Amino acid sequence: MTPAQKTAVLEEVRGILAEVLELSDVDDIEIEPDSLLTDDLGLESIDLVSIGAMLTERYGEKVNLAAFLAEKDLDEVIRLTVGELVDFVVSKLADTTVA
Amino acid sequence: MIGMPSPTPAVLRPDSMLRLAARDTAGLSALLDVPDEELLAGGVKGDGGCRLGIVAPTPKRLGLARKLVAKGRSWRGRNDIWFTARPLLAGTTGGIAFLFPGLEADFAPNMADVAAWLGVEPPVGGSDSGDDHSGDQHSGDQHSLGRHAEGVIAVGRMLDTALRRLHIRPAALAGHSVGEWSAMLGGNMMGQTSVSDLFGRIDMDALLLHGYDFGVIGCPVDRVTADLAGRPELVISHENSTNQTVVCGPSKAVAELVARFRSRAVICQVLPFQSGFHTPMLRRNLGRFEAEVRTLPMRAADIPVWSATIAAPFPGDPRAIRELFVRHLLEPVRFRELALAMYESGIRVFVQNGPGQLGSLVDDTLRDHEHLTIAANSAHRPGLDQLRRVATAVWVEGGEPDFARLEPDARPIEVTAAAPAPAQAPAPAGVFAELTELATRFPAVAELNTLMRDVAESVTAVLRASEAQPAQPVPAFRLIEPEPARTERLLHVSTRTMPYLLDHCLAAQPPGWPDETDRRPIMPATTMIHHMIAAAERSAPGLRAIGVDDVHLHRWLVAAPARDVVVRTEPLDTGRVRVRLGEHAEAVVLLGRTYEPPVTAWPVDSAERPTALTAQDIYEQRWMFHGPRFQVMTRSLGIWRTGVRAELEVVDVPGSLLDGVGQVLGQWLAEFEAHRPIAFPARINRIRFHAPLPPTGTRLGCTVRIRDIVRDLVEADMQVSHGGRPLVSISGWQDVRLDSDRSGGAVNRFIELSTLSEQRPGGWWLLADRWTSLAARELYMYKYLAAAERDEYFACAPRERRHWLLRRMVIKDAVRGWLWDDGAGPLFPAEIAVFEDAPGRFLVSGRHGLRLPSLSVAVSCCQEIAAAVVRPAGGQRPVRIHAAEVAPGVDLDRAAAAAFDLAPEQGVRAELIDNPDGLPSRQYVVAWTVGARQQKQEDSTR
Repeated sequence: MTPAQKTAVLEEVRGILAEVLELSDVDDIEIEPDSLLTDDLGLESIDLVSIGAMLTERYGEKVNLAAFLAEKDLDEVIRLTVGELVDFVVSKLADTTVA
Repeated sequence: MIGMPSPTPAVLRPDSMLRLAARDTAGLSALLDVPDEELLAGGVKGDGGCRLGIVAPTPKRLGLARKLVAKGRSWRGRNDIWFTARPLLAGTTGGIAFLFPGLEADFAPNMADVAAWLGVEPPVGGSDSGDDHSGDQHSGDQHSLGRHAEGVIAVGRMLDTALRRLHIRPAALAGHSVGEWSAMLGGNMMGQTSVSDLFGRIDMDALLLHGYDFGVIGCPVDRVTADLAGRPELVISHENSTNQTVVCGPSKAVAELVARFRSRAVICQVLPFQSGFHTPMLRRNLGRFEAEVRTLPMRAADIPVWSATIAAPFPGDPRAIRELFVRHLLEPVRFRELALAMYESGIRVFVQNGPGQLGSLVDDTLRDHEHLTIAANSAHRPGLDQLRRVATAVWVEGGEPDFARLEPDARPIEVTAAAPAPAQAPAPAGVFAELTELATRFPAVAELNTLMRDVAESVTAVLRASEAQPAQPVPAFRLIEPEPARTERLLHVSTRTMPYLLDHCLAAQPPGWPDETDRRPIMPATTMIHHMIAAAERSAPGLRAIGVDDVHLHRWLVAAPARDVVVRTEPLDTGRVRVRLGEHAEAVVLLGRTYEPPVTAWPVDSAERPTALTAQDIYEQRWMFHGPRFQVMTRSLGIWRTGVRAELEVVDVPGSLLDGVGQVLGQWLAEFEAHRPIAFPARINRIRFHAPLPPTGTRLGCTVRIRDIVRDLVEADMQVSHGGRPLVSISGWQDVRLDSDRSGGAVNRFIELSTLSEQRPGGWWLLADRWTSLAARELYMYKYLAAAERDEYFACAPRERRHWLLRRMVIKDAVRGWLWDDGAGPLFPAEIAVFEDAPGRFLVSGRHGLRLPSLSVAVSCCQEIAAAVVRPAGGQRPVRIHAAEVAPGVDLDRAAAAAFDLAPEQGVRAELIDNPDGLPSRQYVVAWTVGARQQKQEDSTR
């Protein structure tokens, strides 16, 4: 996956987060790769449900946030960043590409 | 029941708060259009209904705020910014609900500073962050779950207290899972039961069902239900929100369920504790619980408490409450429907009384409905800093929290001061005893109870606001509260400036009586309240009184002779002003722009029957002394053992409406306590106005509920309503009852036709001092004495006053009795002037137009009694009377002869009498000389 593709995923993830956050403009709040989903964006666990659903809708069932989160302990979930979310999506898309 | 734990908090200095208000977004933008440095320190600027609040402002937050305001987009909490041009609490439907969390995967409260601020111990079991409950899945430590639950509930209760201290008051309460028990305690549904009482009664650990897990499934309930078909071992325990459902079942089955849903990309989690609550599987553990529940006091909620089992407010019947309390553990928590129903009822702001993520369930469910959720405690920061955020958010939505209490140097609140001092209450009874007992046992609970009592009026109405919207004024713009000023001014009190006071006189006098001081016009307690409200409103222009607390009525305010009374206002904090009306009364007036949410009108009591006396009877038979301008009771509607209803008319006389409320209580006393009907207001704990007073001539309903009646006090709660909608709520109205007996009752009603003294068969008059209080005695003193006599009374040494007064009273009664026997019409005691021209020698004459024949009087006092005799002057025989205490069994003739040193043939008679009931047991001999007329009568009957 090219850096350009990765940037595209970041933009799409930003869009999804902005939608979940009910932001009309992304620039209302800064969504950067190092932003923490909980502390910086104020997302709560229930929001991950929406994010997961939107990711699946956008990329297909191969991008299973539920499975990704199930492997993590709670502390890791708290410290999840936008960048890690993007990496997770990119890794799943890459799997498909290889297959 | 949500899994994400919270990060460790950082300890900071108290967060600053920036609050800006303007009429519109343009005005707000102007306020923001200054260098950041002017805003970073926080503060309050501008006024209007378009508000922005930022906690701990930073340049970044200011930048975001400027963008949000420019776009006019409501923003509710992210980055500690709150902004809206359409405040949720501005309309008639807006209301605040307190939501009490139940058990969550993570429980990390920050309560130490809140407890210190409240002046109480930190909640038991509510350990502060640092005690790590999180990340320890399936620790298996089930024994601590009961204690954990107790901690969660204790934190919820304490936050409830803290929020109310900040004047953030709920219109409804609800809880999630065991948090519902918190809500029930908050709504005072379990009487005095405290958290520790509750957990002392209920052995929670014995209830827990082991081996059953909760699986939190991130999808709507119908998708989960579809999956559960054919799997009877799994049941839905929580319908948490639109996108969250909880399933309970044996651990293995739950693990499989979670795996299935994960494979469909549904986010799931198994909760780190087991209880089996809210499922039918728990029934096998319920035996003891059901017995325990029967020992818990249950009563209708003071504030609507919603049940998540039925997604509706709890019933009021104790049996039905207990039944639902048990069902709660056996049936699913329907939190999604609850949130929707509460929103439907008018709730717009949901304050989460604890740390955790309960609010996010509401957000998920109400995604398409404008609302605010905010947690009153957070694992992220000190408790007070989180309360600053709650206060800021509520303020932005149009609420008026008391920010002064959040100043870093604000004094700790004296919690125990709210409870009555037991030492000063010699024989507490009823509510007083309960409070006293409570205070000694558990000061913090006493405080809670006091606060509960504070909101005792807020019953379900606000939740029904959409059905019954009160005439609640919504100001076009909400302004920043003006700071009430410390003021001092003179109130001129006279019958010239307040002519209506002539219809509120304690002493009746003949028509045309020239000396108005003899009528003793007094300002009604409720008119004093009116003037205290007026002073408070003047001290803060733009605000109006929305309630009055802690009204203390110290002494009469007499309007004749005219006097000036100093009225002082002293701001306590935002929206609260203490007002002192000279030494006569004091109160705390609550100021604001919007009235308190309306409450539900009380239903008619099933035991109600027609009153024995009509409103007209009450005035015509003078059960009340009120003249026409205060006769606002137009119709008696009904009465029952613990209450009474009447119709009141709004008239243009200050204080008359609330005085009418007191009259309705008076009607109850006249019917149920006819032997002691006299009572005057001494204290009123709480008055709340829900709407402005309708125009003159409007008829209002008034219901009085008697709360307690002890020897000297009657306490009641009242509601005044207009067209079925409550207009005024009063709780804790205490009347002091004055001593009275049958003759006293008649004197109070028709003094010109009745006497306090009693005529004895021998023709002399007897008066016993049966008043146990100075106030009671002086009430009659004013009825009997004219101005000059009162001056003499007060010139006496206090210890001599009793006998001095008894002598005058019995003489006046004896003279009036003689005149009535002689065919006279109504006579008032003040019309008889009594002079003592030499020690022991009394003369009588008529006053202000009354002409008396020449009469000789004699009087004698002993202990509690006075005896008098009256005869036409100029008779052959001396007019004498003597009363003396004697030992039982004394020889009557010897005692009488000794009294006057007279021979029996000179017309001496004697009688042995006992002190009346209620006075010390004594026997007296009263000897008197009879007149020629009387002796002739006696001789002829021999």
